[in-house]
Amino acid sequence: MKIIVCIKQVPDAKDVRLDPITNTLARDGVQSIMNPYDEYALEEAVRLKEKFGGEVIVISMGPPQAEEMLRQAISCGADNAVLISDRSFAGADTWATAYTLEHAIKKIGNFDLILCGKQAIDGDTAQVGPGLATRLGIPYMTCVQKIREATEKGLVAERMMDDGFDVVAVDYPVLLSVVKDINEPRVPSIKGKMRAKKAEIVTFNAQTIEADPACIGLPGSPTKVVNVFPPSARGERSLLTGTLDEQIDQLVEKLLPYL
Amino acid sequence: MLKVSEELCIGCGICADNCPFSAISIEDGLAVVGASCNLCGACVESCDVGALTLDVRGRKAQEDLAEWSGVSVFCEYRRGELASVSLELLGIGRKLADERGVKLSAILLGFETHETASLLIGHGADVVILVDHEALEKFRDDCYSAVFTYLVQQYRPEIVLAGATAIGRSFIPAVATALNTGLTADCTKLEIRDQDGVLLQTRPAFGGNIMATIVCESSRPQMATVRSKVMKALDFNAERKGEVIAVKPPADLLESRVRVFDSVVGEATKVNIQDADILVSGGRGLETAKGFELIRKLADTLGAKVSASRAVVDAGWIPYPHQVGQTGKTVAPKLYIACGISGAVQHVAGMQSAETIVAINRDEHATIFNVADYGLVGDLYEIIPKLIAKIEERRSL
Repeated sequence: MKIIVCIKQVPDAKDVRLDPITNTLARDGVQSIMNPYDEYALEEAVRLKEKFGGEVIVISMGPPQAEEMLRQAISCGADNAVLISDRSFAGADTWATAYTLEHAIKKIGNFDLILCGKQAIDGDTAQVGPGLATRLGIPYMTCVQKIREATEKGLVAERMMDDGFDVVAVDYPVLLSVVKDINEPRVPSIKGKMRAKKAEIVTFNAQTIEADPACIGLPGSPTKVVNVFPPSARGERSLLTGTLDEQIDQLVEKLLPYL
Repeated sequence: MLKVSEELCIGCGICADNCPFSAISIEDGLAVVGASCNLCGACVESCDVGALTLDVRGRKAQEDLAEWSGVSVFCEYRRGELASVSLELLGIGRKLADERGVKLSAILLGFETHETASLLIGHGADVVILVDHEALEKFRDDCYSAVFTYLVQQYRPEIVLAGATAIGRSFIPAVATALNTGLTADCTKLEIRDQDGVLLQTRPAFGGNIMATIVCESSRPQMATVRSKVMKALDFNAERKGEVIAVKPPADLLESRVRVFDSVVGEATKVNIQDADILVSGGRGLETAKGFELIRKLADTLGAKVSASRAVVDAGWIPYPHQVGQTGKTVAPKLYIACGISGAVQHVAGMQSAETIVAINRDEHATIFNVADYGLVGDLYEIIPKLIAKIEERRSL
């Protein structure tokens, strides 16, 4: 079974916050990590490979430093890694990203399964998975919480809905995006780390994947950011004052209409 | 490309501080742009001396741009019920359509939808485009996106809105891809730009700590999803008149490559924090999963439901249906009590419409206090038990 896992390097969300005084992003000590949802996608891919044999290829579109994350993926069980990196990819929206990944995957060749995290925690759009599947002309399923049964030909999975879950069957090739309930990702083994250190990371640029320059990066993106600004405050900061007991008294008075 | 003028740059570093991607560094008194630059332009605006310029060719505009007209709303129907977000979208859709001087259409997909079309008209739709077919009873991405894409191509609206529900978030991206147009997820504000009628789509971005306004100028339709409880529905007006167009799409669009065996109603519907009048919400400040016992106790005292921030859901302290925020539920209760929640924008985006917000946090600089009507700085393990006792005492008076 040939499985492709799409992963993304993102800033660790718990480190990113606004500086309350300057209202700018406080970035000190912000680490780059593998998008947490992608870790579940990778783990599921490795489990399927362990069951059926085959190959797990991780791919990532990003700057050169994403190589480090691809090595981490190899240490967690991926066989091969492809970095899709070119200055001309910068500023891609979800449409241009799906286009770029589609071309990279076509370069890689046939596959049975593509796994993605349900969304990346920096953009939170959850659009690239469905967009990529649509471009490749294959069916897809989002927010998969469990693969109930997988065979050589296809699989039955549970996909999360707002009111519960649906049980869906589909044949390969298919793309799945997964949520965190699907598994518990493993920690890298010593052997895995050794392998990751030596592994050769293949790099694709815009030429390798034969991308149309009009379809990649910011120039290829139908959407464009025209303004960024700090979120507006609801009103004045209003901290209660006095001793703790006095503050609680004041609060309960204010909350009377709700009691 | 982002260009730095060596003549103008004074190496002050303000751009580096404003870069959401940490892509700018100051080297030898000059701003240097690194590989992680995403061309967002935040630095350009921040530069006091005008040393930064963003030189980007726009996407080639679609040729028939001007032929697209009208606002369309995807209306979701499942298990015999219309998703409430559909009516909320008709509310904002009506406003946008009026500003543009165009018609508002509701695109309703489902099976045995009965009188739903007249409900949509009563809530603001001028036209209901209805596909009522057995093949749409269960949600299957390929059918829904094929039928919806077909309808959009037929009716050519300039704006398409959809609810950011599990269904909307799943198939709408496929529609945007098939139509070769842009899609903005989870918008919290939608407005028409005065000079050219373009849709301004605002959403939290870059990890949710900053807001971004996004446009889709070169292609149509301009597509956006909106979470439930963000927009307001218009009151039902039985006097409103509208037209219902029942469409029979080509049969091959209704064929699917997936089979839905079963549809299980789960935990999520029981929790339903969106319907609660009062929410008591816990965050990382609880320090352990056991902290939710105290949160539950306060909730019980107030007749409230329990919700949570993303951090503690990710940590596995409480299940996902309880999560408030950009990636959880958007809520608008009468009273929201945030306990040990720092107030990342992505959380605030999900609860700022609450009537009254109370925040309890140890860190007096926590951003949650920026949105709180009443803030208490201190240890929640000390404050909450006292608060419970006080409420009970007050009630017994």
